[in-house]
Amino acid sequence: MILHTLNALPSSAAFGDCLKLLQPGDAVVLLGDGVYAALEDTSPCDELRATGVELFILQADALLAGIDRPAEGCNSIGMDELVALTERFPRQLAWY
Amino acid sequence: MTVADADKKPLLIVMRQSPYGTSLAKAAVDVALATAAFDQLVDLLFVGDGVLQLLAGQDSQSLGKKNIGRQLASLPLYDINQVYFDAEAVSRYNLDMSSSPVTAKLLNPQEMQQLMVAYDHLLGL
Amino acid sequence: MNTLPAEAFDSEGFLRDLSQWDAEVAQQIATAENLQLTPAHWEVLNLLRAYYREFDSSPAMRPLVKYCAINLGADKGKSIYLMSLFPGSPAKIGSKIAGLPKPDNCL
Repeated sequence: MILHTLNALPSSAAFGDCLKLLQPGDAVVLLGDGVYAALEDTSPCDELRATGVELFILQADALLAGIDRPAEGCNSIGMDELVALTERFPRQLAWY
Repeated sequence: MTVADADKKPLLIVMRQSPYGTSLAKAAVDVALATAAFDQLVDLLFVGDGVLQLLAGQDSQSLGKKNIGRQLASLPLYDINQVYFDAEAVSRYNLDMSSSPVTAKLLNPQEMQQLMVAYDHLLGL
Repeated sequence: MNTLPAEAFDSEGFLRDLSQWDAEVAQQIATAENLQLTPAHWEVLNLLRAYYREFDSSPAMRPLVKYCAINLGADKGKSIYLMSLFPGSPAKIGSKIAGLPKPDNCL
């Protein structure tokens, strides 16, 4: 299974490409401009959740963007947890 | 769906940028050719805007840039023979794959998902 | 005899302005590499230039061998044959004499 780091706006091609390739069992970490996909009641957020992936958001980047309460199902993590995720998943793919 | 370790392949490069908008497409081609030149197995998956690298008849000469389309035509000489295209993107851009500089298999999203987990490493550029 | 001054070449002996290349310049570069060009050399040099026109890049060793096999026959599509013509690093030295940029993927 694949760990995707998603650092791209929901309006971007990278976001759409990533969405298309997600499968259950994968995990997605929202970071950088990707954090806007954690805004509740938005279609990018709903589309991400519908893929059945585990969803995470890098807390520092979320706070920077003013997202202090990420959408339901999206777990805030710090750097240590990000590192732990990279150990858990055999392969990773960066979207930016 | 699991792939036995013994059947895994080393590297899949996910090419997803248009050829001349950024330098990333050029970098991806360089990585692919360099990897193959050192006898490492590498396959390519063109996703989304990346399929625009496959337009026939690119002419980069007037801009003094390297021609990505022509460089991709040399893939078979580097023994890079497994190349895959995102069928949706090919159809969205209405590309004529019969004139593409590269021959490849068209994949739907499910097939692309299955493909990606067959590799040890993924590199997205 | 058309010979170019030292400034026309970079520190590794590659031609800076590729449009200055001609057969005499090729021999000048070859002489600096201690090579006397024969028809067998020219066959490969012309093929290198064709490769560059076709693929907009100088080949690494593996594609050069394959390209020679396709265009010159299996006997000449062998690294040992190319090594005999351009000892050391055929892709790099051949590209240099053929007036092409240094191959990207060549150490």
